[in-house]
Amino acid sequence: MSVPAAYIPRPGDSLARQERRFALALLAPALLVLLVTTTAPLFYLAWNSLNRIDLGMPWLSGFAGLGNFAKMGSDPRFWNSLWLTLVYTGSTVVLQVLIGLSLALLVLQIPKGQGVLRVAAILPIVLAPVVVGLFWRTLVLSPEFGLVDLVTRSLGLGSHNWLGDPQLALVSVIAIHTWQWTPFAFLVLLATLATLPPDVYEAARLDRASAWQRFRHITLPLVRPAIMMVVIMRMMTALSAFAAIFAATGGGPGSSTEILNLYAYRTSFTELNIGYGASLAMVLLGITLAVSYFMFRLRRAR
Amino acid sequence: MSPASRGAPLRRLLLWMGAGVLLAVWAFPVVWGLLTSFKTERDVLAYPPVWLFTPTLDNYREVIFGTSSILPNLWSSIVVSSASTLLTMLFAVPAAYAIARLRYPGKRASGFYVLATQMLPPVGLIIPYYLVLQKTGLLDSYSGLTAIYLTFSLPFAVWLMVSYFEDVPFEMEEAALLDRAGRMRTLWYVILPQVRGGIAVTTVFVFLNAWNEFLFAVVLGGNRVRPVTVAMFNFISVEQTQWARLAAGAMLAMAPVILIGLFAQRHIVKGLTVGAVKGGGRR
Repeated sequence: MSVPAAYIPRPGDSLARQERRFALALLAPALLVLLVTTTAPLFYLAWNSLNRIDLGMPWLSGFAGLGNFAKMGSDPRFWNSLWLTLVYTGSTVVLQVLIGLSLALLVLQIPKGQGVLRVAAILPIVLAPVVVGLFWRTLVLSPEFGLVDLVTRSLGLGSHNWLGDPQLALVSVIAIHTWQWTPFAFLVLLATLATLPPDVYEAARLDRASAWQRFRHITLPLVRPAIMMVVIMRMMTALSAFAAIFAATGGGPGSSTEILNLYAYRTSFTELNIGYGASLAMVLLGITLAVSYFMFRLRRAR
Repeated sequence: MSPASRGAPLRRLLLWMGAGVLLAVWAFPVVWGLLTSFKTERDVLAYPPVWLFTPTLDNYREVIFGTSSILPNLWSSIVVSSASTLLTMLFAVPAAYAIARLRYPGKRASGFYVLATQMLPPVGLIIPYYLVLQKTGLLDSYSGLTAIYLTFSLPFAVWLMVSYFEDVPFEMEEAALLDRAGRMRTLWYVILPQVRGGIAVTTVFVFLNAWNEFLFAVVLGGNRVRPVTVAMFNFISVEQTQWARLAAGAMLAMAPVILIGLFAQRHIVKGLTVGAVKGGGRR
C-alpha cells in the first residue's frame, strides 16, 4: 500500500478535513468492490426477475413485468418451498438455542475438560456443509448400513430409509443442520455464561433462590443479548442453507426438502428457467431482509 | 461459579458421561471418516461394523495418484481460497479501520451498507453472476470464482475487523497524531500491530469460508476450476458409492480446515464470540 502525498499533513489543512479524506481513501476500494460484486448483480437480478428467460425455450424470452411473481400465486411448489423454509429456519434456530444453552449450562458444571469439548465443538463448525451432508447421507443415515440404522435395528425399531421417505427426510435435514451449528450456539453461550459475575449467584443462593429461579431471573436476562445475536446469525445461515441439503437429499424425495433456496436453484440451473428462478430469489431476499430488519429492531428494543 | 466441587459423586459421574457423549457426537464424522478411509470397501460394508481391521493406504493412493485423483481439485481450492482471502484482507482492513475509528460524513450509512450486503442470499447472486460470467467468458476461471468469493467474505471480514479495531484504546492514536506521525504512519506502525491477532483470526475465518464454499463453486466452476467440495460428488453415483474412497477424499479435502480449526481453536472461539456479542460476523 503506497502512501499518496495528500495524507501527509500540510499547513492550512484542518485535521478534520484530513481525516475525512483519509477515511474516503481507505473505504473507497472496499465499497467499490461491494458495489460491483453485490449491488450491481442485485439490480441485474431484479431486472431478470421481471423477464421471461427460459434457456430451454429461448424463443419465449421477453419482458414479463410482474408475471413471474403472479405465477407464484398458483404454484404449489412455491408455497411448499416457502413453508419448508419457515419450518426449516424456525425449527433449526429454536433447537440450536435450546440445545446449545442447555449444553453450555451443563458443561459449565464440569470443573475440568471444558477445553476438550470446546475443541470438539469446533469440528462441526469448520467442516464444509457439503461434506457434512455427504457424511450424514452415507455413513449416518443410509439404510442397512448407516450408524442410525445400526442403532434402530439393534433396538428392534427396524430399518428406515431416512432420506428416501418424504417425512423422515425433512426431519433428517433439520437434524443435520442442527448437528452442525448447535456447537456455535454452545460456544458463544458458554463464553457468555463464563463471564457472568459469581457474586450475584452467591447472593441469590443466600436468599434461598431455587436453581430454576436463579436461571429464570439472573442467567436468562444476562445472556439474552447473546441469545438474540445467536438467533439472528443462525437465522441468516438457515435462510441461505444450501450445500448440506443439496448433498443429502438434493431437495427430494420429490420436493419434500426443497426449501426456497433449493427451489430457486433447481428452477434456474436444472430447469433453466432463469427468469422465474430470479423472481424466487427476490422473494428469498425480501424474506431475509424483513427477518433481519425485524430481528435487529427487536434487539435494539431490549 | 464452582457448583461441581460440592456436587455428589453420582452427579459428577453423570456430567462426565454426558460430556463424553457430546464429545463422541461432535467428533464422530471426523473419527469415523478417518477409520473408514483406511478400510477396504469390503470392511466398510461389513455388518456389524468392524472396529479391528487391517488398515490399507489403497484409498489414499487412489484419490491422490489414481484415475479419480483429487489433486487438481485441491489445487483449485488452494488457489481460489488463498487469492480471495488475500484480496479480502487487502480491502477489508483499511475499510474496517475507517468505519471503526474515523469521523467522516455518511459513516453510519457506509457501515450499514456493508452489513446489508451480507444479507443477500447467495442463490440470488448466483443467477446474475452466471449470466455475466457466461457473457464475458469467465465461467470456469480462477479470476471469476476468486472475484465472486469477495461477495460473502468482504462484508464478513470488514465487520469482524471493525470489532477488533474498536477494542484499541483511542489514546494510542491521539498520542501518535500529536507527535505529527501522520494518519497513515499511525495506522501502520501504531494501530495495526495492536490488531495483529484480529487480523489472524479474520484471515482464518475468511479462508475457511472460502475453502468450504460450494454453491458458487458448483455453478461457476467447471472442469478446469473445480474445488474439492464439488469433487466429492465424483465418488457418489446412482449405481455405486465408493465409500472408502469418498472418506479418503473427504479427509484430504477437510485436512486443512480441521488442522486450522484445531490449532487456532482458542482464537476461533474468540472470533465467534466477538462477532456474536458485537453484532458483526455471520458464521
